[in-house]
Amino acid sequence: MFAYARPEGLSETFALLDAEPEARLLAGGTDLLVGVRKGNVISPLLIDLKRVAELASGISEVDGALRIGANTVLTEVINDRRVQETYPALVAAARVVGSIQIRNRATLVGNLCNASPAADTAPPLLVFGAILELAGPDSRRRVSFADFVTGPGRTLLERGELVTAVELPLPADPVGSAFQRMTRRRGVDLATVNLACAVTSGGVTRFAFGAVGPRAIVVADGTGMLADSKTDPVEVDALIRRMTAEATPISNVRASREYRQAMLLVLSRRALESARERLAEARRGG
Amino acid sequence: MAAETMAVTLVVNGRTRALEVAVHRTLLDVLRDELGLTGSKECCAEGECGACTVLVDGDGINACLVLAVEADGSSVTTIEGLGVDGRLSRLQDAFLAAGGVQCGFCIPGMVMSAEALLARQARATPAEIREALSGNLCRCGGYNQICAAVAAACSGEGHEAEEER
Amino acid sequence: MSAGGAEAGPDGRSEKIAGGRPRAEELARDARGATIGTSAQRVGGFERVTGSQRFVADLRLDEVLHVKLVHLECARARIGHVDTTEAARVPGVRMVVTAADLPQPVARFGPGYRDRPLLATGETKYHGEPVAAVVADTVDSASEAVRLVHVEHEQLPAVLTIAAARDERSPLVREPGLRAADDPHRDTNTLTEWRFGWGDVPAAHADHVVEQRYTAASTTHFAIEPHGFLAAPDGAGIAVWSSIQHPYVLQRLIADTLELPLARVRVFAPDPGGGFGGKQHAKYEPLLAVLTMRIGRPLRLVLTLEETFQAVRSPTFEIGIRSGFMRDGTIAFQDIEIDGLLGAYADIGHRVISKSSYLACGPYRVPDARIHVRALLSHTPPATALRGFGSPQMAWAFESQMDEAARQLGLDRLEIRVRNLAHRGEEIVRGAGDTPADGDWAESVRRAADWIGWGDPLPDGHGRGIAVGIKSSATTGASYAIVRLLHDGSAIVLAGTSDMGQGARTVLAQIAGQELGVPIERVSVVMGDTSAAPYDMQTSASRSTVFMGTAVLNACREIRGKLRAMASDTYGVEEDCVAIADGTIHLPDREIDVAELMADALGPMHGEVIGTGSRRGDHVPEHPLGGHAAFYEFSCTASEVAVDRETGEVELLRHVTVSDVGKALNPAHVAMQDEGAAIMGLGQTLMEQLIFDETTGRIQNLGALDYRIPTTKDVPLEMASLVVENEDGPGPYGAKGTGESGLLSTAPAVASAVHDAAGVVIRDLPLTPERIWRALQERDG
Repeated sequence: MFAYARPEGLSETFALLDAEPEARLLAGGTDLLVGVRKGNVISPLLIDLKRVAELASGISEVDGALRIGANTVLTEVINDRRVQETYPALVAAARVVGSIQIRNRATLVGNLCNASPAADTAPPLLVFGAILELAGPDSRRRVSFADFVTGPGRTLLERGELVTAVELPLPADPVGSAFQRMTRRRGVDLATVNLACAVTSGGVTRFAFGAVGPRAIVVADGTGMLADSKTDPVEVDALIRRMTAEATPISNVRASREYRQAMLLVLSRRALESARERLAEARRGG
Repeated sequence: MAAETMAVTLVVNGRTRALEVAVHRTLLDVLRDELGLTGSKECCAEGECGACTVLVDGDGINACLVLAVEADGSSVTTIEGLGVDGRLSRLQDAFLAAGGVQCGFCIPGMVMSAEALLARQARATPAEIREALSGNLCRCGGYNQICAAVAAACSGEGHEAEEER
Repeated sequence: MSAGGAEAGPDGRSEKIAGGRPRAEELARDARGATIGTSAQRVGGFERVTGSQRFVADLRLDEVLHVKLVHLECARARIGHVDTTEAARVPGVRMVVTAADLPQPVARFGPGYRDRPLLATGETKYHGEPVAAVVADTVDSASEAVRLVHVEHEQLPAVLTIAAARDERSPLVREPGLRAADDPHRDTNTLTEWRFGWGDVPAAHADHVVEQRYTAASTTHFAIEPHGFLAAPDGAGIAVWSSIQHPYVLQRLIADTLELPLARVRVFAPDPGGGFGGKQHAKYEPLLAVLTMRIGRPLRLVLTLEETFQAVRSPTFEIGIRSGFMRDGTIAFQDIEIDGLLGAYADIGHRVISKSSYLACGPYRVPDARIHVRALLSHTPPATALRGFGSPQMAWAFESQMDEAARQLGLDRLEIRVRNLAHRGEEIVRGAGDTPADGDWAESVRRAADWIGWGDPLPDGHGRGIAVGIKSSATTGASYAIVRLLHDGSAIVLAGTSDMGQGARTVLAQIAGQELGVPIERVSVVMGDTSAAPYDMQTSASRSTVFMGTAVLNACREIRGKLRAMASDTYGVEEDCVAIADGTIHLPDREIDVAELMADALGPMHGEVIGTGSRRGDHVPEHPLGGHAAFYEFSCTASEVAVDRETGEVELLRHVTVSDVGKALNPAHVAMQDEGAAIMGLGQTLMEQLIFDETTGRIQNLGALDYRIPTTKDVPLEMASLVVENEDGPGPYGAKGTGESGLLSTAPAVASAVHDAAGVVIRDLPLTPERIWRALQERDG
């Protein structure tokens, strides 16, 4: 069994972590408590972050970016007008994480720190170039989300360090984005493959692929060919194939490697088309 | 500061309850065992089935994935808290009238998810209803009747005032 | 959509087909009490919608101790030393028990074969078989102790598939010493085999032969209520609480295990939160019974969802069919090989295999048939009854085969079925004097075809399928009921049926209300207590409306007879001149209500009028199934789907089931059951399968996260559950039973639609997107 602490500020939190290095951080609890119940997570202390002032939930515009506080639950992210307008792929992804009951508790930051290779929120954050704010007892730093996850369940958080917010850079010009995933049933499910696509006004296309490797990966096409709806479909396919080549899907109870590979292509095509359409719409809308 | 048991205060179905709980106990455990409110059910214990859905500060959540100590200071509504003076709430009535109840084990969770939906929005489309209940499993397969019950409860009294505005 | 009090069901439209023979007794139809054929509101609905319904895990006993089971992470292992010392030291732990601590030899039980030991002895035989039990003050301390029980064990090669079970070189699942000396299969993994059939298949002539193989994965029940059990010493006897569907079977088992008279064994069976067959037979009640008597305290064990997957599942099936057809599509012969994988202990799985195989030819006219069936042992959890009792798997095979024949012969898939479907009175099993076709089955098929718009044009990527299914209902039975008419005219029905959501309480209350003229709100139903309600053999095979319903009906008739005699005595009139209708006593000169008669007849000391009734279907030893089916459940499913050819995903557009029910005593309940069964069938068709690790035999998708069942978003866009009512059933008012019909033909109808939409044939369940995708790749690639 574990002990429980409920600090009200970051310095208190760091002191607790320092005193008990094996402590685990509890935000939404929808991953952590399952792990505890199954015996995969054994910890002497759970530190409840929900009352830590500096981690308060909330979405605000700060220095050309949208800042999502660490305790912001997925429901709040989904319902935010600015997120809906600027990052629809993130909304689409967040909407399929678990059920409404889960999304009312699970935090976006918690979902990222859990670092599941199949996390639905990871691909959108990658294509949007998200930045994470990290804080330690004596340090503050910002890291690109692309570098944050280092492997299944592993991040580059140092001992005693935690994430205080996610930042999404606000693009100067319109961006079109889309999210796709494959599941075993239409209802709530874990993804066998998920991906996001973003096409910028400048003609850069980014794809991020999840559940097809130890961590989600992001690749970019700067040639402008994918962004151009007039590009020959055969060439588009070839380009997408090259981009998906870095994915290393495995076979498990959810799906086989071949199927995952194939779905990566099929869904990438669909996401690209969707992203291009949305960009065109955004540019028409002004 | 770190503790094995803790004093918590929960307002459960409108009644303030002060309890001393072991910190590892879930809200579901405490509701069922300490408070005798066995309406909320245990099934998967990992937030996949929704049988334990209750409202915490108005939001539907899986009580099996919330520690009782996390809910300290919150307002909790369970199935037992619906209806007034032994009469069924409009939603509960609708469930019975629409034939949405078979074995009944999933029903408290379903009703609470529906309750949360109707608290958020007076009207809901069929798709919104299905989405709102998609975290509640029913093995008897009563989904269509359950969704119809929620639809019937939506489109009724109390909303004339809304329409006038 | 309205359902309360009105006559139509919620989604389905209940229609009568003229020509049935009315069986209902002549009764003046008055609204008072006359609810048969109406969607009377569920008895017990109020409790369920308020959360006050007490399921077994909601019960609280004083001084109760908690039990947790210890099991290994592999299927088959030789058990060495079990070290319980550390576990026993956990504060609050009262007892840690292994097989060695039980009376030797360890008691074995099972409904067909007494093969399952109370705890694993010598060797575990499946992933989840308990090796030890911990008894402690709290669930937490019991769980902690479980982690500290050290079981020295050596993993052994496990038999996990049909192929492995049939392979002579595979290890034996069951020690030959545990089998009868004259058992011809003693040294194999075949538990038993059957040969059914008629005519002369080798000599039969056919224009065209179709030969294919079909498989169906093992699925689990996943009732939302996990199994729960309580046991406590009760005076000189014992009380047991269980989510069991068969309380009297359990009572007998406990009595035998503890060597107590039945009268000292009280089984309480709270309404289960879903049974689907998985709660028919005992699992851990015998163990708990032994332990509670040993420790003298009440014990409680509630399984986790994962433990239920390790306790109950359906058999895995492989079915090879070689069929002869004439050019015009009529069936010439059927030559069928069926293998069913039972698991380590038979439970009722062997009967699932035999009973369903008996009708492996389906509801058709088949001149010559040969059916060879094997029930195989394996190192997997024991298979048990699961809604449909093997019949869905049979329909998967014979209906997929009909489609194959239609394709090869260039015939319409609807037409080939109608051509071969047995008509009322025709034999579907020949030469055995067995129950012939007992319904106008073609009508169900026509209605389904109409609803789905068979033959209408479809957009590209869309397809339609149609299939039929059939199941024998109970072949034996014994249901007894007591009805008590109280002196204020209200009534109590005592019946041992289990209401697990199918609405038994309601139907029995409706019957009593109808017969006695008592409004349903004034009827209460007592179930789930073997000391209160008289004997009921079991709740299964959709039998209860017919068996228990008739028992209740007969008990009410006895009461009516007594009332007439009372009126005759009290008022000095001839019994023949007394009529009873709708709670009113019609005397020659006036009418009085029942309460007044009771007051006059019984006086200020009061009293009551008690009626008893029963219905039995007795064992027929010469019959391969032990008895003739009381009726058949027959259903037709039609499905329309769209297939995404790039991903293999199936979108369920329209889905209809039409079931031949005799009479829907409560149309809303029938529709809910059929629709619910269809949704369960869709889960089994598209997404459900237990996945066993090939080496360790561990169930890999243990739990809700990786074993997917349908949610609100997985339901077809449009669904209907229709009924054919010809009042031609053996139950009250011409009713048959229902509840399993909706899923008998789901899989073949959907697969047929998938082929129609995408051009690929799948012969293995489930039809996952990946499976369909692979078939498309193979065809195109």
